[in-house]
Amino acid sequence: MRSLLFFVAVVAWCKPVEFTRDVRPILSDACFQCHGPDDSSRKAGLRLDTKEGAMAKAIVPGKAAESLLVKRITHASPVLHMPPRAAKVQLTEAQVATLRQWIDEGAKWEEHWAYQKPVKPAAKSIDEIVKARLIKEGLAQNAPADKATLLRRVTLDLTGLPPTPAEVDAFLADRSAKAYEKVVDRLLASPHYGEKQAMHWLDLARYADTHGFHIDSHRDMWPWRDWLIGAFNKNMPYDQFTIWQLAGDLLPNATREQKVASGFNRNHVINYEGGAIPEEYQTEYVVDRVEATSTTWLGLTMGCARCHDHKYDPIKQKDFYRFFAYFNNVAEKGLDGQRGNAAPVLSLPTETQAGLLKEINEAVASREKQLEAADVPAQIKAWEARRQFAAPSRAGLLAHYEFEGNMLETTGSYKHGRYLGLPPTPRDGPVGQAATFDSTSQAEAPAAHDFDSTKPFALAFWFRGGNNLDPLVILQQKNETGWLFTHDTIFNIGDLRRGAHLIVKFFAPGGATLEMQTAAPFGYGDFVHFTLNYDGKGKFTLLQDGKPAALTTVKNTLNGANFRTTAPLTVTKLVGTLDDLRIYNRELSAGEAHQLAVIEPVRYLVENSGIRRTKEQTATVREFYLAYEAPEATKALYARLQQLKRERKELEETIPTTMVMEERAEMRETHLLIRGAYDRKGEKLTAATPGFLPPLPAGAASNRLGLAQWLVSGEHPLTARVAVNRMWAQLFGTGLVKTVEDFGSQGEMPSHPELLDYLAVRFVELGWDMKAMQREMVLSATYRQSSKVRPELKERDPENRLLARMSRFRLQGESVRDNALAVSGLLNAKIGGKSVSPYQPPGLWEDVAYGAQFTAQRYQQSHGEDLYRRGMYSFWKRTLPPATLATFDAPDREKCVARRATTNTPLQALALWNDPTFLEAARHLAERTLRAAGPDRGKRLRQMFRTATARYPTPAELALLDKVAGEQLAEYRAKPAEAAKLVAIGESKTQYADAVELAAYTSVASAILNLDEVITKE
Amino acid sequence: MTTRRNFLSQVALGSLLSGATPTKAKSIIYLHMSGGPSQIDLFDAKPQLKRFQGQDLPGSVRMGQRITGMTSGQSTLPVASSVFSFGKYGQSGAEFSELLPWHRKIADDICLVRSVNTDAINHDPAITFIQTGSQQPGRPCIGSWVNYGLGSENKNLPAFVVMISQKSGINVDQPLFSRLWSSGFLPSNYQGVKFRAGTDPVLFLNDPEGITPSTRKNILDLSGQLNAKRAAELGDPEIETRIAQYEMAFRMQSSVPELTDLSKEPESTFSLYGPESRRPGTFAQQCLLARRLVERGVRFVQLYNRGWDQHGDLPRDLALQARAVDQPSAALVLDLKQRGLLKDTLVVWGGEFGRTVYCQGRLTETNYGRDHHPRCFTMWFAGGGIKGGQTIGETDDYSYNVVKDPVHVHDMQATLLHCLGVDHLKLTYKFQGRYFRLTDVHGNVVKQMVG
Repeated sequence: MRSLLFFVAVVAWCKPVEFTRDVRPILSDACFQCHGPDDSSRKAGLRLDTKEGAMAKAIVPGKAAESLLVKRITHASPVLHMPPRAAKVQLTEAQVATLRQWIDEGAKWEEHWAYQKPVKPAAKSIDEIVKARLIKEGLAQNAPADKATLLRRVTLDLTGLPPTPAEVDAFLADRSAKAYEKVVDRLLASPHYGEKQAMHWLDLARYADTHGFHIDSHRDMWPWRDWLIGAFNKNMPYDQFTIWQLAGDLLPNATREQKVASGFNRNHVINYEGGAIPEEYQTEYVVDRVEATSTTWLGLTMGCARCHDHKYDPIKQKDFYRFFAYFNNVAEKGLDGQRGNAAPVLSLPTETQAGLLKEINEAVASREKQLEAADVPAQIKAWEARRQFAAPSRAGLLAHYEFEGNMLETTGSYKHGRYLGLPPTPRDGPVGQAATFDSTSQAEAPAAHDFDSTKPFALAFWFRGGNNLDPLVILQQKNETGWLFTHDTIFNIGDLRRGAHLIVKFFAPGGATLEMQTAAPFGYGDFVHFTLNYDGKGKFTLLQDGKPAALTTVKNTLNGANFRTTAPLTVTKLVGTLDDLRIYNRELSAGEAHQLAVIEPVRYLVENSGIRRTKEQTATVREFYLAYEAPEATKALYARLQQLKRERKELEETIPTTMVMEERAEMRETHLLIRGAYDRKGEKLTAATPGFLPPLPAGAASNRLGLAQWLVSGEHPLTARVAVNRMWAQLFGTGLVKTVEDFGSQGEMPSHPELLDYLAVRFVELGWDMKAMQREMVLSATYRQSSKVRPELKERDPENRLLARMSRFRLQGESVRDNALAVSGLLNAKIGGKSVSPYQPPGLWEDVAYGAQFTAQRYQQSHGEDLYRRGMYSFWKRTLPPATLATFDAPDREKCVARRATTNTPLQALALWNDPTFLEAARHLAERTLRAAGPDRGKRLRQMFRTATARYPTPAELALLDKVAGEQLAEYRAKPAEAAKLVAIGESKTQYADAVELAAYTSVASAILNLDEVITKE
Repeated sequence: MTTRRNFLSQVALGSLLSGATPTKAKSIIYLHMSGGPSQIDLFDAKPQLKRFQGQDLPGSVRMGQRITGMTSGQSTLPVASSVFSFGKYGQSGAEFSELLPWHRKIADDICLVRSVNTDAINHDPAITFIQTGSQQPGRPCIGSWVNYGLGSENKNLPAFVVMISQKSGINVDQPLFSRLWSSGFLPSNYQGVKFRAGTDPVLFLNDPEGITPSTRKNILDLSGQLNAKRAAELGDPEIETRIAQYEMAFRMQSSVPELTDLSKEPESTFSLYGPESRRPGTFAQQCLLARRLVERGVRFVQLYNRGWDQHGDLPRDLALQARAVDQPSAALVLDLKQRGLLKDTLVVWGGEFGRTVYCQGRLTETNYGRDHHPRCFTMWFAGGGIKGGQTIGETDDYSYNVVKDPVHVHDMQATLLHCLGVDHLKLTYKFQGRYFRLTDVHGNVVKQMVG
């Protein structure tokens, strides 16, 4: 609404009417819906988006009163009035007057400005253009900002971090004419420059650490992010930057870096919801690439032409699918991402790793070939026919539960067990059926053994974890005394899976406990066989899958006390699967454990040859045969092969990967999709750029590489304008074209068309040099003025479109965080690498997440230095983005976002008050000040305030600070326990001896970190 | 670029009110049953299905419509009739299965719509669709639209509150996404504010130990006074807004605990909502909190109850799920009614789609599962401008296709806005050059629902 008023005001000031600035926006907004580029929805055969259409019958140049257009927009009859009374957009009186005036003045027509190549104006600088406009408006620019404000502004703009007090001192002390220029050059060379630029680009690239959509599990695109930061720091020219990101993989002899860069268009959301239709999602991925690419480079809303011709811009539905065809040939699957990155993926080994991997691969291939030559299936068939298995020994077997759909005890020595509540679900297990328990199914059996510290025993069973998030008790025989098996939970073992350590506990009277756990974790979703032996004399041994497994003692307070129990055997609250539970009154030998864990599953399959084997079961038999029963040479060959594969897996797990673009060998056909639906295919189309824009450069291929070269040929009317406009918006808060994402007919007109064109032409002249372009902007007087809002500007130009002052606006969420960490001295300035997980209130992910069998379902907070990384490295889960960043308007990154909102809400106040990040930062700001400033309170407060704001407080401000500091000292002196609690917030430990003093200054520091000035770029 | 429209004190956009009908509802409480409750086992009685038990779904019924990847590979699609018995209740004769005994008490208050249908067949797109009007991420949800359009009537509480409760059944649960209560392309101050069980109902609401009450007041006052000096110096009205937001945050520190403190609720409240309503985080307690929120003028309360995705073990899991939800849902309507709030409050109950008549997995006499079904499902509506005591829409013998009075998701959304006095055609926001609305380019107000 405000912008509308602004333009109305502009019209009133500046006569005569200009078509592009004054008329076209009205026609576009109010008329194009029915009289625009969309052939299928055009009413009455009238189109007003082209000169021919408009002049054909609606407009009589010079004669508004005779023009049908004016008659209809002023018609008294509600039936004949235009726009129709029910339409969303109605014309204001001022708009009607503008249209009249335009026709009366001759109805001069101009094509849409953004589709015409920018022309370099006569003006020679940013300031010349801005000032000329201000003179026309009768306004003057503000005086230059004071040096400290300017330094803080430019440091935040170029690096996203505040200046240090030393940097402020140095700048204030430097009286040379080039002082500011030197600072700018220092900042452009800072490695944090790349971080700041990347921070904005990540929104366009919809970068995240999870796949989005339904399950929203983990992915790794941080190598692409690292590339991005590096590219900005190296000042890669924007043309090359564009080509690499859109088509790095298609460059001749593409380097690893170029391929990594192409990941821009793999950052989109990827789905693998069970039941989803692959084709539907593969289509969505391509649509997303079209939207992200067109928004980022063209400032066009091509997505609007997915279902029908664009209503406002000359983009036909066919144009959309022709553009779509460029991105439709990726070697990808519709549903993917269950295990980390989705194909196509690029592995990023070091040179050593690559060499090693090649060696192993060759060794694997040669052994696999040898194995194939031996015709193993035929060998197995013959072997199965003759092989007789012995059953495991039943000596000392007290109880045996097979879980074949019930809890019968098969030795006959003991009473059968029974299921309580709802019966567990029977599933295929390692040996016949297994029982899957959930939170309502339980089992109970009488004690099979008088378990006693003085008697040996063995417990053997199969276990597989379910989809619970929390560790649960697997099995137990316990009242006050007795034993139980449980486990812990660890995430992301190996290839991003969940793992657990088995935990065994024994309890003696009076709380005496022995707790042991496996030294190595097992895969939580795998069937694992455990045999726990006890020798009757205090010694436990564990066999896992028939092999000895190390047990670590976590706690032992037994001291010989007896854990004797005759409590019933119970399974309560287990979410997981059990099979083949055996209890012996003796220890089992390694051979016997092996027999239970390895031979029994095979014996079951071979003896029940009538059962149709699953793939896994066939593999079980094959593996057994090759490992134990085949001829010696084959066994050795197989053993070596398995060893190599294990080594390969271990190696691969240490090598990061990133998703990249990669073409399919066979071209995927592209069709126009009727109404945009993936399953309603229209005519077949090939890749091409929209007809209303310049043609591809001569010799450009009809693929993504050609498309990228077209964008940066220097002939394109949009690419440079869109890029410089975004740079401008980063610095000034608002783009010259406010709608940075839309340069089309419905986008806003540039506030300074001449300036936009000047910058666009200059950018290309500078060889697409981003640093040079930004340097020119921040060196301008326009940028260097004060941001003070003069009273007359408040009314006249509240959005500061005329630039009579510098814009003053809140820092982006990431910078709010980074700034607090930096001024407190807590910031870990490490650049790049994997994302980290700072403090976040517990349970946020778990409230919405799917379950444990996928990654990134449970928030695992980082510790130590990783707690203090910059906000851009916070682990970005799309279905629940970092909480405090989201409170400060960070997007969820499900889609390309070119412009963030900047809101001002009480939730932001709560976060700045109480998020431990900010309280811990306040404590560090206080502590560093107390240590450095000496005992004087005034000096302390001045220094603390200056560290946070880059300026000293005024006497009045200091008086306020001093009063509160005094009160806070009294408060915490009276409540030292509260002081201790305040300074204990956060994981870093304070070394400051006087907790009361530290707490008092921490509270003052918190007030300072909450100042508008501190979270604002002035 | 800065939006100064405040978080808690937004003014209604006067022009979009649909003048034709007087405003009826002031608030909406939307009880979303995430996963897709089975209409066949809860609302849409098909006793004759017993005859077709185990038979393959006739092609003439399915008519080649697409089905999900979870059952498209099944060799047959055997009909599974419901194991639950149904009855007709109230003067209106609304039909409920035995799983919903408490619903009998509200039979004449609610408008049961058995002909709701959607475009999506999987959770992510379907729930995104019913909440935002689009299957793809990026649009504002209905609560944000309402917040944007009407603002709040309470200066100390957010206009749009979201609460999530967990499953009551056994099998795996479906996830939710923050985009469901996101403001999409609307400024982020219109997004839903999640209230959570526990000590911090709103993120970082409570001061941690060590920040004493007078410390908080001092921090508030000191930053407020310094901000005021800066505002005087620089003249930027955004600073004044910041000061106001901080004062609101401070007020929320007492208004939210007052809201969530149930100690002054009489015994009768807890017996009405059931014993679970004493337990934080349960659907029952959230229904009670929803009533307390609308009492205080909160515009939109969105509840998500997880766990309605019964692909298998439906008889067991649906019964558990319904047991936790039946009483509090009905209690909410009864409670609003007895307090005279029902006329101003629209209660919505339903999932993102229905479930198939055919069985997913193994069909036995006592056990079956059902896949997602977009073609028809049942929702109910009560209060706030809705004509209660009626059932709208009919489905075919298989509860597969709608045969009478279809209500598309966009129609339902248009009707909800209409009940708030908002014309869904006029509640628009210009983004990327286009005027977007909740109902996209579709939607008709369902006249029958509003009487």
